[in-house]
Amino acid sequence: MFDCTRRPFALLAGILLVLFVADSPEVHAQTLNAVRERGAVNCGVGLGLLGFSSQDDSGHWTGLDVDICRAVAAAIFGDPDKVTFVPLDVSTRFTALQSGKIDVLSRNSTWTMSRETSLGLMFTGIAYYDGQGFLLRREAGIDTALQLGGKTVCTQTGTTSELNLADYFGAHAMPLNVLTLSTAEESRRAYEERKCDVLTSDVSQLYAERLKLAVPDSHIILPEIISKEPLGPAVRQGDDQWFNLVKWTLYSLINAEELGVKSATIDDAPRSTNPDIRRLVGSEGEFGQQLGLEKDWAARVVRSVGNYGEIYERNVGTQSYLSIPRGLNALWTQGGIQYAPPVR
Amino acid sequence: MRTFRGGLTIGLAVAVLVAAAAITYERYDTKTLKRTMRRGEVLCGVNKGLPGFSNPDDKGNWTGFDVDFCRAVASAIFDDPSKAKFVPLDASERFKELQNRKVDILSRNSTWSMSREVNYDLYFPAVAYYDGQGFMLPRARKIDSALDLNGSKVCVQADTTTALNLADYFRTNNMTYTEMKFGKPDDVVKAYDSGQCDTLTSDASQLYALRLKLSKPNDHMILADIISKEPLAPVVRQRDDDWMMIVKWTLYAMINAEELGVTSKNIDEALKSKKPEVMRLVGTEGSYGEDLGLTKDWAVRIIKHVGNYGEVYDRNVGADSKLKIPRGMNQLWNAGGVQYAPPIR
Amino acid sequence: MTNFRQMIWMLIAAFGLALSSVQGHAQSRPDADEPGLIADDGYQLDPEWQKQVVYYRSNEAPGTIIVATAERHLYLVQGNGRALRYGIGVGREGFQWQGLVTITRKAEWPDWVPPPEMIARQPYLPRFMAGGPGNPLGARAMYLGTTVYRIHGTNRPDTIGTAVSSGCFRLVNNDVADLYNRVPVGTKVIIRQKPEL
Repeated sequence: MFDCTRRPFALLAGILLVLFVADSPEVHAQTLNAVRERGAVNCGVGLGLLGFSSQDDSGHWTGLDVDICRAVAAAIFGDPDKVTFVPLDVSTRFTALQSGKIDVLSRNSTWTMSRETSLGLMFTGIAYYDGQGFLLRREAGIDTALQLGGKTVCTQTGTTSELNLADYFGAHAMPLNVLTLSTAEESRRAYEERKCDVLTSDVSQLYAERLKLAVPDSHIILPEIISKEPLGPAVRQGDDQWFNLVKWTLYSLINAEELGVKSATIDDAPRSTNPDIRRLVGSEGEFGQQLGLEKDWAARVVRSVGNYGEIYERNVGTQSYLSIPRGLNALWTQGGIQYAPPVR
Repeated sequence: MRTFRGGLTIGLAVAVLVAAAAITYERYDTKTLKRTMRRGEVLCGVNKGLPGFSNPDDKGNWTGFDVDFCRAVASAIFDDPSKAKFVPLDASERFKELQNRKVDILSRNSTWSMSREVNYDLYFPAVAYYDGQGFMLPRARKIDSALDLNGSKVCVQADTTTALNLADYFRTNNMTYTEMKFGKPDDVVKAYDSGQCDTLTSDASQLYALRLKLSKPNDHMILADIISKEPLAPVVRQRDDDWMMIVKWTLYAMINAEELGVTSKNIDEALKSKKPEVMRLVGTEGSYGEDLGLTKDWAVRIIKHVGNYGEVYDRNVGADSKLKIPRGMNQLWNAGGVQYAPPIR
Repeated sequence: MTNFRQMIWMLIAAFGLALSSVQGHAQSRPDADEPGLIADDGYQLDPEWQKQVVYYRSNEAPGTIIVATAERHLYLVQGNGRALRYGIGVGREGFQWQGLVTITRKAEWPDWVPPPEMIARQPYLPRFMAGGPGNPLGARAMYLGTTVYRIHGTNRPDTIGTAVSSGCFRLVNNDVADLYNRVPVGTKVIIRQKPEL
């Protein structure tokens, strides 16, 4: 008798307890909570890729991929240094993300379908549109890939570059001579020894390869891009808040550039009369709260790392050794295809 | 005490089950594909009537760009475009109806914006149509850039973002204008048609539809300049990543198909292609469809029944439609536009 | 006056026809080339094919011509994400290749000497036709590289937007004259085809 009266109470208490736990935002905000507790974002980066992620002698990381991580840290903590960089090689990068060792992977990884549908990941956007291009001697006087007919092109065996190359030349009825080598190193040497006229690889790679040539400036990279290698940050599926946070951090960088909001003038931005700017920097509306952030989250990002254009120029563009023109990575209003949905 | 503890244990166990059910079913719905399959149709929220995007005829047959996207999703799942059921929704109720699971997907000329994602717990998987504000004016004015509109009388609908964008654009470019405000879109058109203003501003897709209402449509043109961002996208609920993947990759498959030259007319030929990119799209290589929870030939079904992105565009809003909106930004990235899909591989 | 002119052109056309082989008459005649027909100046192009400025991203320099054959559009790149777009008629079976050529020669009211490849396909065509309003090459022609192909006008504005010509790119006379005034000899012309499967 006694038992029977008590049991329903206990039952109810238990139900309420679990429902309370289940209903709290904690359930779908695991990553952000973990990051806050830890006091740093764990960010998977490359082992050393000039312009994208590299570490200097004093242990300081620089690069476009690195700055994306710093932007996420700035959005959360207002401090771009609250990042722990975890260098990962090609084989461990996705497992490190799946296992929770890192919170975000920002390591020149191509967004492809199978990586989303079979690895349980999601790409949050495109930080850098890469793709296959061509490097050749300036003296050749060629300024478009359509003039490459009959040239000898160095490429590596068994890569997609080789297939794309054959496709492109075939489609444009240009005769192609291929010299296939086993490594990028060998390809570059063959090109230097003039065994081939043209070197092909992803454009970001070609700009790095060019720096290794004796007189970099006597070589050019053509503007054409003949394949798609969209590089972007990736997160685990299942944590919507985190996915949105990383996604809108990237978009806020792009939107800031489009609106002319940059690190040097960020403190004037809140006084702008332009509603798009006011919403971005948090002087109008409540856009950060739902991400679990402060009102001025995007202003913090821009103050710490600059807008997308600043990050680009500093790491891979005109202010860097690589000097990669904006090309596809220019804003949609400037001849490129970088486009971010609006903050409103 | 023991009995209380025992009760608590049982209570907890039951509660965990209830809560788990609540999480997966009530609040955090992750079974959209399963329910769609069981139901045998995709429930798709569309506009009640918007020429080119979603429009029912007298017999209740729907046509339009947004409508065809739903048919594409239905084709991917059921190999049958008629398994899309259209639910006409008002602008005010559309997001609520999606949240309340009255529809599986919203394909209703909705702009992807930040607050809609993070405040409404929704996702806009990818941009289906890049829209934005433009200008219509009489051909006879011989103007081909919005920067030549200095000093114009501009017809605009009052109290809209359109009016705000207009002010921003003119101010940024150091130009002046006289605003002619009207409450209803129809009045804006009437005023413009009667020559009360030099130009009319609205979203470009709207301008092409409004042009058809003018007494002499062909005497008017729409400038190439786009001064704002209105990326239109399908919408799904958050917390169901599997369903979002299906919607996202359906759109990407259509864009990739156009880029690879695969159309509804040559799809049988495409199945015999030896090009790796085409083979992955049509499922003669890899298991991309299975990984989505669909079949190997998921993309073939889409292209066969609905067509690739360009075919859908041309038929509904482009060259083969009444609207005749140039591809502009919606052209592929390698043919002058910004439409770009990550690769299937 | 116009009647007289028209008659002259008709006579020339008839002469051309007489020269062509008898076998040709038995073939079904494609509706593209109608030597002798005078273009209807009042012909109103469908908006899709009217000259207009459109959004167009390109890494090609302003002044470059891009021919999108599948779209039936010719773009003259203007820079700043814009291009001048013209509607065109394109080759039915000719000009299947894509790539880069340059304009090597320009001519006003060009004479027409159908190349041997074309005569072989359409033996009823004249071997020569002097330039003028009834000439299928129309008001202007821009010769492409060393090929037999060119960008030219037409006396058949109704074929804009279709694939009927022998591989050339045809614009209505007003448009081709407009383009002609905008591009010099040496202009880069990039021809794009639909990708092959």
